[in-house]
Amino acid sequence: MNPLGGLLSERLSKEQVIDGFDAKPWAVCGQLPQAVVFPENEEQVAEILSLSSEEGWHCVPGGRGSWLHGGQPPQRVDVLLSAERINDITEYEPADMFVVAQAGVGLKALERRTSECGQWLALDPPGGERGTLGAMLAVGTAGPLQASFGLPRDQLLGATLVTGDGRVLALGGRVVKNVAGFDLLKLVAGSWGTLGVITSVTMRLHPIPATDRCLLFKGVEAEDGADLACRLAQTPLALAAVELLVPGRGESGGGAPSPLVAVRILESMDAADEAERVVSECAGMPPVQRLEGEQSAAIFDNVRSMEDGAELVLRLSLLPTRLSELVEMTSRLGDLYDPEEGWGMRLAAHAHTGVLRVMIDKVSRSDDWVGRAKTVLGVLRRSLEAEGGSLVVSQGPPELVGAVSAWGELGPAALFAAGIQATFDPAGILTRSRLPQ
Amino acid sequence: MPEPLTKELRDRLRGVVGDAWVIVDADRLLAYESDGLTAYRMTPRAVVLPRSTDEVSRVLSILSQEAVPVVPRGAGTGLSGGALADGDAVVVGTARMTDMLALDPANRLARVQPGMINAHLTTAAEPFGLYYAPDPSSQSACTLGGNIAENSGGPHCLKYGVTSRYVTGLTVVTYDGKVVELGGFGRECGGYDLLGLFVGSEGCFGIATEIEVRLLPKPEGVRTLLAIFDRLGDAGSAVTEIMAEGLLPAALEIIDGPTIRAVEASVFAAGFPTDAEAALVVEFDGIEAGLVADVERAASHCREAGAREVRTADSPEERLALWQGRKKAFGAMGQIASDLLVQDGTVPRSKLTEVLGRISEIGARYELTIANVFHAGDGNLHPNILFDRSDADELSRVELASTEIMAVCVDVGGTITGEHGVGLDKRRYMSLVHGPEELEAMRSIKAVFDPRGRMNPGKVLPDPPATPDQDQPAPSATPDSARVTS
Repeated sequence: MNPLGGLLSERLSKEQVIDGFDAKPWAVCGQLPQAVVFPENEEQVAEILSLSSEEGWHCVPGGRGSWLHGGQPPQRVDVLLSAERINDITEYEPADMFVVAQAGVGLKALERRTSECGQWLALDPPGGERGTLGAMLAVGTAGPLQASFGLPRDQLLGATLVTGDGRVLALGGRVVKNVAGFDLLKLVAGSWGTLGVITSVTMRLHPIPATDRCLLFKGVEAEDGADLACRLAQTPLALAAVELLVPGRGESGGGAPSPLVAVRILESMDAADEAERVVSECAGMPPVQRLEGEQSAAIFDNVRSMEDGAELVLRLSLLPTRLSELVEMTSRLGDLYDPEEGWGMRLAAHAHTGVLRVMIDKVSRSDDWVGRAKTVLGVLRRSLEAEGGSLVVSQGPPELVGAVSAWGELGPAALFAAGIQATFDPAGILTRSRLPQ
Repeated sequence: MPEPLTKELRDRLRGVVGDAWVIVDADRLLAYESDGLTAYRMTPRAVVLPRSTDEVSRVLSILSQEAVPVVPRGAGTGLSGGALADGDAVVVGTARMTDMLALDPANRLARVQPGMINAHLTTAAEPFGLYYAPDPSSQSACTLGGNIAENSGGPHCLKYGVTSRYVTGLTVVTYDGKVVELGGFGRECGGYDLLGLFVGSEGCFGIATEIEVRLLPKPEGVRTLLAIFDRLGDAGSAVTEIMAEGLLPAALEIIDGPTIRAVEASVFAAGFPTDAEAALVVEFDGIEAGLVADVERAASHCREAGAREVRTADSPEERLALWQGRKKAFGAMGQIASDLLVQDGTVPRSKLTEVLGRISEIGARYELTIANVFHAGDGNLHPNILFDRSDADELSRVELASTEIMAVCVDVGGTITGEHGVGLDKRRYMSLVHGPEELEAMRSIKAVFDPRGRMNPGKVLPDPPATPDQDQPAPSATPDSARVTS
């Protein structure tokens, strides 16, 4: 074991530290940590972080490692701290509709437990159900259900955060309405592990709706699919999700499958029938498919898994009514993949929020591919930002993400971001560079 | 009387906002000596009323150059003394910043100035079939800027959530006059959720000068039912059963016996039986077709829990009549007692009955009348302590009872304030719910936005613990230094 791993295993136990070849699956954007450590409780997390602060070791927190390839590549990773073994559901009060769970609890395990009581965590972030609660909150992204349930931060009632220097902070509480002091909890969601390690979270739950129905509508071209999605999102109904799915844009050989618009309705039976009527009327056509219950959920589970296997994932956004423009702009991305090889890109868009995900399975490696990607994405980012939108490189080959930058620039708010990070991580060991500067 | 502004400073401020909008006359300042929490009175040094982001920025630049503390103020309806300014501070009010800057019905967005009244936004959005969801009880008077400061709730946040869910972007001005954009719908900026942090910061980080919010489509239908109970605990059980069945009402509100009697004795009489011990209002909204069944299921839970009477409202007029007792409860209590202290703790819903019992016991022990009006669905209590502030002994008992009520809320896993904010009023109680590390972290974050500590000083956070080697200067406005009028 290397000296750093050795020091850590002295503090904890040999079974809790791995390094070298064993650490390979835990690479952060291609960078191998010197050691991966698996604390078993909050005290051990605090001990590791205190030690790292003293020694100046750069730490990246993780769960099961699903998100380690995302975000801006860090400059240096010494310790990967996995919350995988901190994984108890500590308290579940069905009557109060909240659950307290440790950060390493898997989303699947949580779902199993809460569904026994007819409740669910109404979030469907990318990456399917293999991720952990802590990682989902740290990354802060949401899926199609954000149309009706918002972002992970909107379901987060409380969290325990161990700061970079090993302080244990109990933030928020267990009730929805809580304005006792500044809302530091909001900083935790989407902080990408740069403020501390989340060890426990309290999440709001919802009753599982009586009817889960998915209506699939077919478009001809991606742009008219976008128009349809946009129109459906504007019906005066509280639809759970409206998602545009373009399975194979830019693929060679013709015959690319048609775009689909998937509408999810979560209501009582009577209300679902009425919603279906209104949606079909607005679409001007009957759905090509209508799925109920588990089959409906399965369609959206597939949407969650759409990023699997993609080498490059981009998130483009503009105001929702401009979705077809956004889709049209993806034609500028032709240089990023090699259609001759039969590869194209897949698109998925949240019609209510105007976020379009672009999944490219195989990035073209022709001459100066990084330089070209930097130019293409740089120009696209600037034109989106000029219109009040954004471009985020959610994951990709580290050299490409490093060159393009995962995020746009923060502007004057950067001043606050630096101060906040210094408050939570005075020694600066939590790879602040993973977030926009 | 506070020390007046120097002529030079007054002239500089007038140069920015115009002569009429820098108020220094003692009689006109009286209007600003209190907010919705009338127990505290403090006279600010001056009031400045700018019209735009640029004017706010220039006013704050001038005041910060002179090291003058600033207190932001909307309509002054807050219930925690957050908009009070003592003699050193200048109030910067948003009363003239009432414009709708942009209304985008297709994207369901509005961008407004902070002085716009909450209800006016819904009025403007209504022709497009849209509305603004957070509906604090003071919505016909309170401003959206004030709602941002307090992260306001309201009866309908059980289903729709509080203000922070609806704010998508802010332009804020910090104490030194810097203008910063936070968030913005239609873009994913990454980085810390500064927008979420700013909402609920009670004017301690800066002044929001432009507010972008999400609007919702008006639900197709609304159904309301009112159930009358002989025992408060039974109403609590009905709430538990309704929620356990997986129903999600838009609102679940309870008023207790003392409140019912206050309402019925007032000009707001709503026709409630005065011997009842609880009235429960349940409201559902959404797709019309689903509502009838929901209401029937809720009604049967009420009957099973022991309701002696269940009324339903189908027309808007009937609905208004059912809500009357709930909405006018505060006004009614104001008519039967000279003074009123409203508490605002939140508890997990399953603890409601237990906590109400403990509050009633506290009231009896301190010989105080406590009337409860509360958002039962999300466990947000509003015990109203009725008293007469000219009775010094009673005033001290009110103080003790308040502290105990907050401690009970925290003890069962709740918090000291659900929607009214900490302000001046509850800063002393922050240590009931937060440890020293958390309070210190809040202090540090405040310093990130306001390093000199002059933005709404003396609010939210308790004084830092005294350190032996350092004399902490006392904040300029503390409850102890506040003049409690008698």
